[in-house]
Order: sequence, then C-alpha cells, then structure tokens
Amino acid sequence: MIYLNNAATSYPKAPGVVDAVRSALTDAPGPPGRTAAEDRSTLDECRDLIAEQLAVRDPHRIVLTPGSTYSINLALWGLGLRAAHRVVTTVTEHNSVLRPLYHLRERHGTSIAIVGLGADGALDMDRFKTALESGATLVAANHASNVTGRVNDVACLFSMAHEAGAVTLLDASQSLGHVPVHPEELGADLVAFTGHKGLLGPPGTGGLYVDPNLDLEPMLVGGTGVRSDLMLHPADMPTRLEAGTPNLPGFAGLAAALRWTAGPERQGPAVASAMAERLRDGLRTLRGVRLVDDDSRAQRVPVVSFVVDGWSVDEAGYALACSFGVQCRSGLHCAPLIHQALGTWPHGTVRLSPSAFTTTEEIARAVEAVARLAGCA
Amino acid sequence: MRIVATTPVQDCFDGSTVFTYWFDTVWTPDLVQVLRCLGELEYFSDFPRPFFRLRCGSGLQVKGVVGEDNCQVILPRAEREVIRESFERCFAP
Ligand SMILES: Cc1ncc(COP(=O)(O)O)c(C=O)c1O
Repeated sequence: MIYLNNAATSYPKAPGVVDAVRSALTDAPGPPGRTAAEDRSTLDECRDLIAEQLAVRDPHRIVLTPGSTYSINLALWGLGLRAAHRVVTTVTEHNSVLRPLYHLRERHGTSIAIVGLGADGALDMDRFKTALESGATLVAANHASNVTGRVNDVACLFSMAHEAGAVTLLDASQSLGHVPVHPEELGADLVAFTGHKGLLGPPGTGGLYVDPNLDLEPMLVGGTGVRSDLMLHPADMPTRLEAGTPNLPGFAGLAAALRWTAGPERQGPAVASAMAERLRDGLRTLRGVRLVDDDSRAQRVPVVSFVVDGWSVDEAGYALACSFGVQCRSGLHCAPLIHQALGTWPHGTVRLSPSAFTTTEEIARAVEAVARLAGCA
Repeated sequence: MRIVATTPVQDCFDGSTVFTYWFDTVWTPDLVQVLRCLGELEYFSDFPRPFFRLRCGSGLQVKGVVGEDNCQVILPRAEREVIRESFERCFAP
C-alpha cells in the first residue's frame, strides 16, 4: 500500500509516537497527587514543545484540545460574536471554520463576508481590502488549503485586518509541521492547529494559541484536577480553556512527535515538499490529467489535487486505492467553497498528499497508476 | 451472489447517497457481467486488481474490484428507491 493521504491524517506516525502512547496507557498510574503531577508534566512538556514550534514565549497561552475543529470552535464561540459583529473569511476555508460561522450567523445574526480568489488563484487582496472597509470584528483565514496546498499570504491579510481593528484567527491545520507558523510574525492572534497531520502525531490532539492580549470565554467548564475549592472554573490560562480529563496518551504521543521533528530529522518537511513537487511534475506530463491550481510560483504544503478525463473523481480515487493500492482522497475534502472558485464544483478533486516518509519509488508508482487511469501508460 | 449488508459511506461527497454493498462471495470477472443489464459497464482487466464501473442513465453508479466481496454504489437523489430496487434485483435469489 502506498499511503498518500497525509493531508487527512499522517501515516506512519513519527518514530517514538506509538511507544509513547503505549507507555502512557500501560504504565501504572501513580498514587493520587503524584499522578496529577506526572500528568501535568506530560502536558507541560507538550505545551513547551508546541510553544517552541510556534516561537511563542509563554507556553501558558497554548490550550491543548482534541484538534483543529475543537480549537476553531473554542475561538469562534469564545469571542462572543453577535449580530453587531462581522467576520471576514475566505473561500479556502475548511468546513471546520465555515460551519461554526454559519451557525453563529443562524443563532446570533453575526454577518460573514467571504473573499474569493483572483485570476492568479491566490486570494483576491483587493476584494479583501474592500471587505474590510465595511468593518470587521474578526478575520479568519486558512494558512494552507487542504485542496490545493497553496499557502495564503496571511501576514499581509492579518496586517490589513489589524489596521481595520479586527482580531485574527489562523487555521494552521495543514501548515504546522510543513512551513513555519509563528503567530507573532504572521500577526495571528489565535492559531488553531492539529497534531495528527503535519506534526505526525496521534489523532485527537491539537491546540489553540491565544495571544496574551486576548481573552476567550470558555466553551466548557468543569473539572481541571486543580483548584477544586473554587466554585467557578479557574480563570488563569491555559486552565481557563481546558476542562475535563485530557487525552494524556495522545499528548504523550504528540510530545514524542514534536521531539522527533525538532531533532536532527528536521529535514522532514523538505522531503515531503520535494515529494509533492515530484508528484506534480509527474502528473503534469500526463495527457488527460489536469492539476488543479498549478501555479509554480505559489508556496505550497505537500498537497496535490487533480482530475482525470473520463473518470469521475470518486471512481478515480476508488480505482487508485482499491486497484493500485494508492491511498488517496477524492471529493470536496470538506472545503466546498474553493471548488466553486476553482471550477471543480460539485464533485471536487482527487487529492494525493505525501509525507516525510514518502519515497521517490512510491511517487513514481503513484504517477504510473494515474497514467494507467488516464490511458497514457 | 447475494447481498448480505449495506453500509452508508460517511465522507464529504457532493450530496449523493453512497453505499458499500457487501456480498456473500467475491466479485469474479464473470460475476461482474451481471451488471451489464443495468447500463454501460466498463471492465479494466489490465489494472493490478481488475476494476469495473457501471454508469446508468438513471444516475446509478457502481464501482468495485475483482477479488473483493463489496462494491460502492451511488444512488442519485431522484427516484432513489426505484433505482435501488433495480440494482438489488440483480442479486435476487
Ligand atoms: C484546513 C483544515 N482545517 C481544519 C481541519 C480539521 O482538523 P481536525 O481533524 O484536527 O479537527 C482540517 C482537517 O482536515 C483541515 O484540513
């Protein structure tokens, strides 16, 4: 099997992840009190390592969550958006951003403006500027598209957003682990990320970075393992936004993944990106195969989308997976609006996404498989 | 070949209803031909695991590979039940 569906979830995981998860589940919990301290140290180590990745000074600004979807909801609901508020966002967003926004619009009347793509396939900055002129409370932007891999110029978007007085939310689900995600440099007040994609960690892990000048209302309150005497949920970060028993095995695994990516294997992202380029180069030569958004000047994470003449995307995806053993994903990839902008609505694309562990041989076999589908092998 | 179960496929598709149909036996090149009465059947015998797809004017689509005991079926929104019955009838005892 050739696994090229890392944009959905990474496989295999970084070395050390499986052992760390196993140990967290099999090592006997210590006595009460000590257990809490040990649990804290796993979580704190994970928080410290994430802070390092994000180049954030205070690890307490990092809230550990079950993943990006949770983090985005925490941010959007925690900002207390109401009818008087306006959110500017983009067509490149995942449903994890779009759906909470639509729910906020339904429930509280929050208005939403969605900025499209320009002729070059990048976000239309002029339209973005115009959208800000009508006022914005929040700008929510995807760092990298999970359909095309294109990295949005969020530093520019967020600088304009701040000038307009808006808070900024970055969805770094597809970028963290592939390209630098430094909230301060990018001007991101909130950064939602996930552990199971580019970071090569377990599913059910992720987090939200919250700028020190920003307070979010908690979405959940309850037990924290600390300050049990208080009637209300503790107000200090990150406890303020972390209620309930955390996914310790998951975060032990994520810490192992982060240790690995920070180690001498740091060329991981470069390998994944080189494999994606090789894949693009191979597919581009095939007659009957159309790469979707193939501007070579664009910066990208390792995600390649395409369509094949004579094949619906789900037939192509199914044949690649079941007949050729190339694991891929086909459809809208939970990002409906970008397909309308790219002309791949309503069926979407076939998507291949390599990782640091993909080999040139696997890429060659994947290209060969697509060539067979297109009838040009 | 008898249908033993159907499971809805949970994915971000375009709104069509997609099911996996499970059978009591695996698809063979001969069994694939059963589908020919329903519409345009294509059989890719030279793929590493031979692949078949069926496309019908009604919107029904079927795809699968030889050697597996299942296939994927897309049922269109319009006349879904009639189309489902016509597909399932192919496997009636
Ligand atoms: C751009 C983007 N945002 C959000 C998500 C949701 O991430 P999670 O699985 O961590 O909830 C994904 C996952 O596919 C994604 O690609």
